[in-house]
Amino acid sequence: MVVNKPSIIIYTNEPDEDFLREICAGIEEEGVLYTIADHEGDLDTLAFDAARESMLGSGIGITGNHMAMQMNRLPKGKNVFELIQPTFRQCRNLGANSARAIKKMPFKEMYPV
Amino acid sequence: MRLIAGVDIGNSTTEVCIGGVEENGSFRFLSGASRMTTGTKGTLPNVLGIKAALEEALYEIGLPMSALELVRLNEAAPVIGDTAMETITETIITESSMIGHNPSTPAGAGHAVGELIFLENIWNGKPGIPYIVAASGKFSYEEVAQRLNSRIPELDIRGLILQADEAVLVENRLNRQIPIVDEVKHIHKVPEGKTAAIEVALPGSSIRMLSNPYGIATLLQLNADETKSVTPIAKSLVGKRSAVVIRTPHGNIRENILPAGEIYFHGEKDLHINIDAGADEIMNTLETAGEIRDIDGQRDTNVGNMLSRIKTSMADVSKAGQEDIRITDILAVDTLAPVEISGSLAGETCMEKAVGIAAMVKTQQLPMQQIAARLEQELHVKAVVAGVEAVMASLGAMTTPGTRLPLAILDMGGGSTDAAILQEDGRVRTTHQAGAGELVSMLIQTELGLKSRTTAEQIKKYPMGKVESLFHMRLENGAMQFFQESIDPRYYGHVVLLAPGEMLKIEEDIPMERIMEVRRDAKRKVFVRNAIRALRIVAPEHDLRRIPNVVLVGGSAEDFEIPEMLMDALSEYRIVCGRGNIRGTEGPRNAVATGLLLSYLGGAV
Repeated sequence: MVVNKPSIIIYTNEPDEDFLREICAGIEEEGVLYTIADHEGDLDTLAFDAARESMLGSGIGITGNHMAMQMNRLPKGKNVFELIQPTFRQCRNLGANSARAIKKMPFKEMYPV
Repeated sequence: MRLIAGVDIGNSTTEVCIGGVEENGSFRFLSGASRMTTGTKGTLPNVLGIKAALEEALYEIGLPMSALELVRLNEAAPVIGDTAMETITETIITESSMIGHNPSTPAGAGHAVGELIFLENIWNGKPGIPYIVAASGKFSYEEVAQRLNSRIPELDIRGLILQADEAVLVENRLNRQIPIVDEVKHIHKVPEGKTAAIEVALPGSSIRMLSNPYGIATLLQLNADETKSVTPIAKSLVGKRSAVVIRTPHGNIRENILPAGEIYFHGEKDLHINIDAGADEIMNTLETAGEIRDIDGQRDTNVGNMLSRIKTSMADVSKAGQEDIRITDILAVDTLAPVEISGSLAGETCMEKAVGIAAMVKTQQLPMQQIAARLEQELHVKAVVAGVEAVMASLGAMTTPGTRLPLAILDMGGGSTDAAILQEDGRVRTTHQAGAGELVSMLIQTELGLKSRTTAEQIKKYPMGKVESLFHMRLENGAMQFFQESIDPRYYGHVVLLAPGEMLKIEEDIPMERIMEVRRDAKRKVFVRNAIRALRIVAPEHDLRRIPNVVLVGGSAEDFEIPEMLMDALSEYRIVCGRGNIRGTEGPRNAVATGLLLSYLGGAV
């Protein structure tokens, strides 16, 4: 699939809709556009392909309650962040961080300290 | 071969140096080591650090402690440095009356005035009255937007204050464009029913109306007296991206000038000066007072308490009576400290005027003999106290290639800046000045509002860079550094300090330029001023031009920018000045320990 809009790509494979909504809210609050599309493959593939195909170089993969954020040029499987069965706040921050990666801003704290 | 050791106990580090004397009298330096000083300089707990340092130095050459024949300790100058900081202005807000902070993503732009109302009470709102709505974090962005949209046709809603970080989300779902401030932590403290003005700056700029007293007066219709009283609010909102000012008729916002008090100098002349006068005036007065016997402060004032606190803590550690403790020098530095405003809603801070003071405390002779005795007992090696610190440092500094007499040294340590001049005829003049590395750390910590002193110390020591992508960072001098392996995402977008072998993240969100400015400023304020002050005292006829060369030694001479700053400042007086290189190998450290060994060879006691 070819995407020409400057947006963060979210590749989904039977995602948990609530988690997906929170991720999108996180991106929206940071003021960045996003595109959601279905995609084949495991989590690492989803995130890797999303980041590679995003014009902004930032992508998210989500399958079920398992999600990862990836950036372009990072090796496959070496996800920047990865969450399983997260809280809504973590989802929100994952989305925000995918936007912050583009804005070159420090990431929000993802994991409870 | 006979092994002897030189030991130098400083305010922050203990340095040792080991040398061997051959049968034919020739001499070789073998190794050296440096450890943290344990306890206050010149007290018995030092023994622990000495032992550790000696062990480390001996380990390097593979010899046991019993191989040592003699340990030579320096006669440490009986001066100890300490620092303190006191704010002299204070902004107090007794009734919650403003919000001013930098949320990363406020929404909308412009300013508005209205009556404050909580979202849960919006059903009681009356048409025709302008409102500013406050919504707590328990409402989701969808609920907030939906409730407002359903009331917007009839109610005049002008602005929105959110507790959660959802300003953009709400704005995108709202039928009307209004300024929205978010991330207000203590939203329940917002006084409902009061009139408030809200402002969100255009992207890339900061607020204009609420950071201007007349702007606040225009929006909230204040008279001249009220306008005067909101000036501190306007001042503390300068540079913010969003703000709310609430009109509280009986609210009290005032900038208190704390009773700062006076400093009394007891010297050749007895002089006094008010702390308010600023650092320059204080230092001038100090100079006019001539040689100082003691310094104290007005009772029950900040500065009085500060100086007596320094004396008490020194009396405690050195086990001397308080009357034996005298402050013989201070260095005052003007600074600004961010202080959280009491009564703030979002954790706002205000830059308050403050003065940082380093004091030099003179005690009775330090119990060096006791330390020597204890060392002898624990190590079974003969230990003697030999040589005055400054003389030994000069001797050690002489081993720097390219120096000649008369030679001045500037020993910049943690607690004090010492200067000494060694004349051709062997005469030595010395002075000890308050203020060195620790004061710099304190200034960095307060001005940047850092939580930990350790971070401030690291900022002082290491250059920095900003991680701009997972594969490169921009260094503070503008250069780029690239990495083969991706950088840990935790560092992404942060300013990091480049310590040898690792990167240290600065938690606080402060731009790199600001950190650099504060760091360089603090170093200049302390070291350049102190260097000139100290050298002038020891210089022949107090004329700096009569010192041909200055060798910088001590921990702070290892700094990556202080020596250059001093070189710059002193080149004005045509002085050759540079970082020492003891024995041609050691850099600026180990001067005193080296001097102790050299003086042994020279037959001096």
